[in-house]
Amino acid sequence: MISVQLFFISFFGLAAVWFAVVVFRTHSMMRSALALLFSQTALGAMFIGMQAEFLGVLQIMMMATEMSIMAIFMVMFMMDPGGLGKMDMTHQKRLSVIAGLVAFVAVVVVAVFADWGPLASSVPDAAQQIEDLGLELLGRSMLIFETAGLTILTAMIAATAVAVEPIKRNRD
Amino acid sequence: MTPELFPALITGAALFGIGIYGALSQTNLVMLLMGVELILAGAMVNLVAFWHHLHPDTPAGQMFVLIVMTVMAVEMAVGFGVAIARFRAIGSVEMEEAAELKG
Repeated sequence: MISVQLFFISFFGLAAVWFAVVVFRTHSMMRSALALLFSQTALGAMFIGMQAEFLGVLQIMMMATEMSIMAIFMVMFMMDPGGLGKMDMTHQKRLSVIAGLVAFVAVVVVAVFADWGPLASSVPDAAQQIEDLGLELLGRSMLIFETAGLTILTAMIAATAVAVEPIKRNRD
Repeated sequence: MTPELFPALITGAALFGIGIYGALSQTNLVMLLMGVELILAGAMVNLVAFWHHLHPDTPAGQMFVLIVMTVMAVEMAVGFGVAIARFRAIGSVEMEEAAELKG
């Protein structure tokens, strides 16, 4: 049972990494947005594999919406959203590759050599998890949860304020 | 060493590295935001793996993931707001052209 679970976690992990690579490999902006959607969906499936059902479903739902909006923005802003011109939209490539590799190796070294302590023997079932999370959100972590809500509201107002067209006053 | 954690932690590390590459190498603002999304996704995988393997009885781990999802949504909203303002001002969201903002 554990090995089947490990197989699915590894499979969806590989899929998430593969689609993340595709995001920056394709010339088409639309394909980039879709590859990111597939990568995030694979992550959601990975969460479900790790028995975090609520987070997995939430991840898939949120990312499907977010990436659809991103794809619309791609069409709005890009000269060539289909990638037919195969234009290169990168700079400082060498530095970026080195920084990415260094970050990857550093995190892997920590993951391999750190002592993470004893593994838990069992995970609560989905219904129990939701109940515990609800009690956590409305109990000990309520201030953090409220702060997150307020942050979203602030971001919505800020984004609208930045994006709205400035009023041109006619002084005549 | 805890081999059970490896698939998730290596996935998180790979997404983090690819995200760093994307955030540094892309000239387009929307593509750059995709890199940041991947960095945050890497953090989320690690959080869920730690919750699942080490502290499944503590819902604070799941709570932390919800906060990271909030950060992702906020980053996208503000990023797109800036993109619209920039597109309206100069008709492009290329970041190399944003060097003029230095003054």
